[in-house]
Amino acid sequence: MTVSSDALQHGVEDHIHPAPEGFIRKYVFSIDHKVIGFQYFITGMLFFAIAGSLAELIRLQLLKPEGAIMSNQAYNGVYTMHGTAMVWMVIIPLVTGALGNFIMPLQIGARDVAFPWLNMLSFWIFPVAGAILFASFLVGAPNAGWTEYAPISLQGPPGTTLWCVAIFLIGISSTLTGLNFMVTVIKMRCPGMTWTRMPLFTWATFATALINMVATVALSGALAALFMERVFGVPFYDPARGGSPVLWQHMFWFYSHPAVYIMIIPAFGVISEVLPVFARKPIFGYKMIAFSSMAIAILGFAVWAHHMFTSGMAPWLQLPFMIVTMLIGIPTGIKIFSWVATLWGGRLHFSTAMLFAMGFLITFTFGGITGVYLAAVPADLHEHGTYFVVGHFHYVVAGGSVMGLLAAIFFWFPKAAGRMLDERMGHWTFWLFFFGLNGTFFPMHWLGLFGMPRRYATYVEFAKIYPPAQLWNIVASASSLLMAAAMLLLFINILRSLVRGRPSGINPWGARTLEWTISSPPPYYNFKRIPIVLGLPYCFDEPLPYRNLDNEQDEIPKPHSASQAWMEATA
Amino acid sequence: MATTIISSPDAVRFRYDDVDHAYHEQRENRLTGIVLFLVSDVVLFSMFIFAYCYLRSSVPNWPPITQGGHQLPRFDTAFAEFNSIVLFGSGATMHFAMESWKHTNRPAFFRWLIATIILGAGFLGGQAYEYSTVSITWAGSTMGAAFFTLTGMHGFHVLVGVIFLCILGLQAQAGVYTGSKYFGLTAGTLYWHFVDVIWVALFFLFYLW
Repeated sequence: MTVSSDALQHGVEDHIHPAPEGFIRKYVFSIDHKVIGFQYFITGMLFFAIAGSLAELIRLQLLKPEGAIMSNQAYNGVYTMHGTAMVWMVIIPLVTGALGNFIMPLQIGARDVAFPWLNMLSFWIFPVAGAILFASFLVGAPNAGWTEYAPISLQGPPGTTLWCVAIFLIGISSTLTGLNFMVTVIKMRCPGMTWTRMPLFTWATFATALINMVATVALSGALAALFMERVFGVPFYDPARGGSPVLWQHMFWFYSHPAVYIMIIPAFGVISEVLPVFARKPIFGYKMIAFSSMAIAILGFAVWAHHMFTSGMAPWLQLPFMIVTMLIGIPTGIKIFSWVATLWGGRLHFSTAMLFAMGFLITFTFGGITGVYLAAVPADLHEHGTYFVVGHFHYVVAGGSVMGLLAAIFFWFPKAAGRMLDERMGHWTFWLFFFGLNGTFFPMHWLGLFGMPRRYATYVEFAKIYPPAQLWNIVASASSLLMAAAMLLLFINILRSLVRGRPSGINPWGARTLEWTISSPPPYYNFKRIPIVLGLPYCFDEPLPYRNLDNEQDEIPKPHSASQAWMEATA
Repeated sequence: MATTIISSPDAVRFRYDDVDHAYHEQRENRLTGIVLFLVSDVVLFSMFIFAYCYLRSSVPNWPPITQGGHQLPRFDTAFAEFNSIVLFGSGATMHFAMESWKHTNRPAFFRWLIATIILGAGFLGGQAYEYSTVSITWAGSTMGAAFFTLTGMHGFHVLVGVIFLCILGLQAQAGVYTGSKYFGLTAGTLYWHFVDVIWVALFFLFYLW
């Protein structure tokens, strides 16, 4: 089939909608996916600062075995709000709402998502839900942990009801975003972009959107039932009235295990984009990485009960959940080895984004391995409810999702703002964060193995069994300050760059996905002419596989352009 | 503009001969969106159905025995069968309405649509009647919790559907839809059939099981 580019422009260019006018339309109730992405980013980072401060309070409290700064009740509220806010108000909105919104439509050559108005609605639910969640501090914060197990959550303070409402709302927002992104990826890819030519971040966003759309509704159901029980006394979970607390665990984890993949799969996508660019090599095993995201997303629906091995499950039922959980190690391992093979023999350029990507490989792999270990029923029976679990999932969430998020910030910020971030400060951010993360969460593994229970405000009894407990908690608390310093430095870096950063140009890294072919920051319509895709975006020694680009960039990006940009940035 | 000829591989698909390109693009997006929305709605109902099955299987007797020691009554199957026929009938009339529209038979379309709305409202009336006569309460037992929550959710969906169909009727009256562009009607039909299918599951779970 042959087509002329004249024919292509017909019926395409005239669909550019008029530019939004006025402050409100442009920046507040905007329907532009990029502006919505920035809104998610700013709101999410604000909540990150709050939830991070709560984490520092936790670490301060644990400086002394008998508790340093607050009452046991206050501590319960603080760690509950830390977990809840980090999962639902920080990580999920940042990796799906901010990164997905800004990057995915650009990568598939679309002018916007499928339902821009719905996208705006999704965003505006988010700050409202966040405000409701943090308002629960005023009436008595929820105190049963982010999992809010019944029946404790049924007896919890009034804030628990607000917690229900906030998470229900953010769940609706997630579901709508997932639906929106699914339709966008299925229907709005530009001509020639087949499924097997989609950039890997888009694949990751698609897999995430699938989980968001299907699993989040389950959480909404569980929360609605909890709300009904708390407010109207309808028996679902209260064992005294015929309900079952284990029912809550099933309904909660049916969402919340897939939610783990909602948090990590976008980070996989980021890493898959960053590594080939800074190794100047095609990604190794493109199809395997793409399909393993889908495999993780689908297998993720069949493992939820591995959180419940100690909740009185039948042993014959534990076995399949254990096996399926371990099976997830296979697609994840495929990814890890593909990334390592991408690095192998490449010309590595250690920009900050690359450092975070390589740090991700280390910390995420470590968290993943302890995850496979925890999946084994006998090990889980011993480790369940200890700091080992806390260490494990923080390696995955902070060492995986947040590392991926930071890599994405350093990689895509020049595209979003049109200005470079400072690479020297970036390197400091990385090393502070990397050492802070390992120093905080690594000791938790043996603290947990020796039996330190999670969620306790004090560890006087534990310190009697294991005298170095206080030492390692001090190490963890001190290291957590390094992470806080890293985030502060990132904040300064962003502000500084917005004021006086070096202009980034169209393609500072010599990257090859479609977002790097349009100006930085992208115009509101993204693409004047809808591009045509002829191949994968990862073959660095071939001409760009695109036609009909707005900026003529058909020549090969020079292999050394990345190191040039880096050297100029650090000069 | 110079005409660059692109000999493109298999994958380049276009519909530029189509004058209604934008409409069709939007229609396909919305159709996919509606289908995905219904999928997520199925998950929501499935969660409560799971909760019902779980609570039911965790006690030895069903209907459960209250703390006072007497067993709760079963639901009245005869009336529910009658009410189900009303709802399934509305699915049939909706189908006929859509077929009439496709055959550009507007009067028949309006007749069938009004019949659907009346049957849907009739089902809601029947459910209200059943709620007023049934002896269990929402907060009284797990059976009541599951029954009122699930049928209430379903009834809410029917109510939304009836309002949706009324709006579609008014829009059709006002000439919003044409012989080839009637996405709203397709969406309404899909939604209405979905509500029917959910009721099949609920009817089995509460009245036959």
